[in-house]
Amino acid sequence: MQGLLGYVVQRLLWLPVVIIVVSFLAFTITRFGPGDPISVLGQNYRDDEVFERVRKERGLDKPFYEQYYIYMRDVLHGDFGESVSIYRGVEVWDIIWPRMLVSIQPGIVALVIAFSLGTAVGVFSALRQGTWMDPFAIGGFLLLQSIPVLVSLPFLVLIFVLKLGLLPATGWGGPSVDVGPQEIALGIFSKHIILPALALSLPGVAGIARLVRATTLAVLGEDYVRTARAKGLPELAVVGRHVVRNSLLPLVTVVGLSLVALIEGAFFTETILGIPGIGELGYRAATSRDYDVILALVLIIAFAFVVANLVIDIAYTFIDPRVRYERGSGR
Amino acid sequence: MNRVLLAIMGVMAALIVAVGVVIVVVVATGGGGDGGDNGPQTDATDEPGGGQRAEGELRLGGGEPITLDPHLTQDVSSAVYIVEIFGGLLTLEPNVQDPNDSTLQLKPDLAEAIPEPVQNPDGTVTYTFTLRENATFHDRTPVLAGDVKYSLERAADPATQSLVAEFFLGDIVGVKEKLREQADEISGVRVVNDRTIEITIERATPTFLQKLTYPTAFVVDQGEVESNPENWTRNPNGTGPYELDEWVFGERIVLQANERYHLGAPSVKTVRFLLSGEGITLYEARDIDVTSVPVTDLTRVQDPNDPLNDEYVSRERLGMDYIGFNIGAPPFDDPLVRRAFAMAIDREQIASGLFEDAVPVANSILMPGLAAYNEAAQAPAFDAAGALQLLEQSTYGGAEGLPPISYAESGAGGTAGESTALLIEMWRDNLGVEVEIEQAESATFFQDVNEGRYQMFGLGWFMDYPDEENILNIHFDSESPNNDTGYSNPQVDTLLRQALTETDPARRIDLYRQAEQQILDDVPWFPLFFARTHALIKPYVKNYLVPATIVPRLRFVTLEPTD
Repeated sequence: MQGLLGYVVQRLLWLPVVIIVVSFLAFTITRFGPGDPISVLGQNYRDDEVFERVRKERGLDKPFYEQYYIYMRDVLHGDFGESVSIYRGVEVWDIIWPRMLVSIQPGIVALVIAFSLGTAVGVFSALRQGTWMDPFAIGGFLLLQSIPVLVSLPFLVLIFVLKLGLLPATGWGGPSVDVGPQEIALGIFSKHIILPALALSLPGVAGIARLVRATTLAVLGEDYVRTARAKGLPELAVVGRHVVRNSLLPLVTVVGLSLVALIEGAFFTETILGIPGIGELGYRAATSRDYDVILALVLIIAFAFVVANLVIDIAYTFIDPRVRYERGSGR
Repeated sequence: MNRVLLAIMGVMAALIVAVGVVIVVVVATGGGGDGGDNGPQTDATDEPGGGQRAEGELRLGGGEPITLDPHLTQDVSSAVYIVEIFGGLLTLEPNVQDPNDSTLQLKPDLAEAIPEPVQNPDGTVTYTFTLRENATFHDRTPVLAGDVKYSLERAADPATQSLVAEFFLGDIVGVKEKLREQADEISGVRVVNDRTIEITIERATPTFLQKLTYPTAFVVDQGEVESNPENWTRNPNGTGPYELDEWVFGERIVLQANERYHLGAPSVKTVRFLLSGEGITLYEARDIDVTSVPVTDLTRVQDPNDPLNDEYVSRERLGMDYIGFNIGAPPFDDPLVRRAFAMAIDREQIASGLFEDAVPVANSILMPGLAAYNEAAQAPAFDAAGALQLLEQSTYGGAEGLPPISYAESGAGGTAGESTALLIEMWRDNLGVEVEIEQAESATFFQDVNEGRYQMFGLGWFMDYPDEENILNIHFDSESPNNDTGYSNPQVDTLLRQALTETDPARRIDLYRQAEQQILDDVPWFPLFFARTHALIKPYVKNYLVPATIVPRLRFVTLEPTD
């Protein structure tokens, strides 16, 4: 346990470094890129003198390093600034927090679909190793994985919305709940959840299935499986009780990677389908040069990645006692 | 170890079952889990009543507002809601009797009447507004002169960071000082008593009263704003015909009628805006009752055989598209080159070929609906041979002598629109000039236009109030910060400045017409098309006006009862 604690501390010490590097990069890119939130807002009635006055009021006239220093100081005090060109004058945290609750909904459903479907397909393929069904099942999902969301989403819309007329084309809805700064809709209780969840989950199935297939094959060769079979246990019991349980172990690592895919995918699915989550917000923030919103999103995502990976590493040691993060040459 | 794994699997299994059940329930009940609202659900059936409407409820499409704070707004999608929720001393009213009439009338809103200007000895002009006795905020507290003063001072407070306060309120004595932190109050705004307020402007101009109809001059509730400065617009206490009932991020905005509205309670009690989804799709699925029609669907709805044709209306808008020539950038520093490039464009062909003649060709800068609109105004007419001749007479001596030329437009780097492609083709065919298309996303495009980085650009202008000043003075006065072409003609400056302060309407029209023709002859702008709003309106929606600019209009609408 000592070793684990040291490892966690070591990883946590890296966190500020990651945050500083990421925030500095994002800050530099936004400040030195063309356009700023004031010029986005003022598409009509452009008066440079007025613009300069408002920039000064917002501290945008200060030198770059000073702006960065002020920003980081405020962030450390829990102040992420306020939106200028998306929701004018609203605190960034008040904008992002309800939207995270929206993005999480398709995210959770997609994770569940991807993992359950991926596991099923992986175990199925492993058990059918050597038959035509094995490459066919995995290959089918590999095909889905190879199609970017940008392409697959319009297809899903074509099939489910235009041809079958089963689902709403775009948008978000459902019962609304008040989450403090804003009301959000619980799309998870409406048809609106289906398209984004499918679009987000399908590309991930093949990866999970391949992993599960590989580990299942390895487990199938283990002595205890042979023993179980030799005992005369029915195949279902062998697979269910001995094989699947042990072959799922490496999946935990994929959860982290899936998080990456989900956030990536959210930018596309939410923007295309008009779902008011953080992906759609990020796209609009970038095109509207809403500095504080962009930076807050970058920081939150970076933070989430570091922490998620850490949690997975820790979880791994609990799941498999052979994995130990020890220092020195104990082995 | 196994216990943890089992727990993980257990949670996953539970989630799978839960999600499965939810999906089955939702699909089986046709979205019955939506809590009874009519969310944007496309229904495949062609039978009537696909999307049900509730009695007395009007359903519209809309954009997500940037803000509902009238003093911060300057964009169209926010203004649509703000003009219904808030109000100011004066308002613009569309013609309720004749929906085809695109003129807008200046009418009193919170004020009892439109005041007459009183000339002061020092050249300033004072208007005395008397507030209506029955004018109240939504919470029933009366609107007093102090509220008007507070609101104007908040709009002009540098901390509010309005980008347009100087433009809309800058005529008032003391506003410029207030905006530059040289004064705490606006010296030209004086509360006489609870129901009387005096506003003094620097010099007489008929435009000032028009500018008061813009949200920057709207009245807000001081107590509410100061007690909850961050989030007061979530439940704003305005004075308009509608109150904000709900704003669900990215999903819907619901307005409820203000039954005690001082200009008469609205007939439609609930107006529901769907903020996401494509308008025409939602309309065809009967999820909304009115939609605007994108250019791509115009051909279809204009076909008399199309079922949607009966519900199609097209109305004039106070706006236009134009090509701007940068006077300071070669080769457009030569007026002959500008004129040649204009004459090489056959706008009739673009209009008929692309837009089915649904957009009228603009031969003037002032559009129908304005007092000084002049049918006799002459923009350079299409003449390919003449254009070529002019180009040869220019200082550049012909196509070979020209520097590389690019045409800039706002865009995300995709393919240029068909109309842009036609422009490029016409310049190539008629002048022998190969023009490059340069696209910039809107965040930088407008800034670059303003800073004169382009040689020529395609842009549109939509007016906020029906006064010639809102297009001619702000774009063509050499001193105007909005002059986007660098155009400077002393004669035009004189005409425009005279017209600005001319109080005799007939003389004013004459001055503006003279200035306009001079501008058209100098070709800093080449007008392309007048803007129109194309809309589909369900037959049970009556009196839905499509005004020429954004003004309150929902209170005029009536709905036929549902079956």
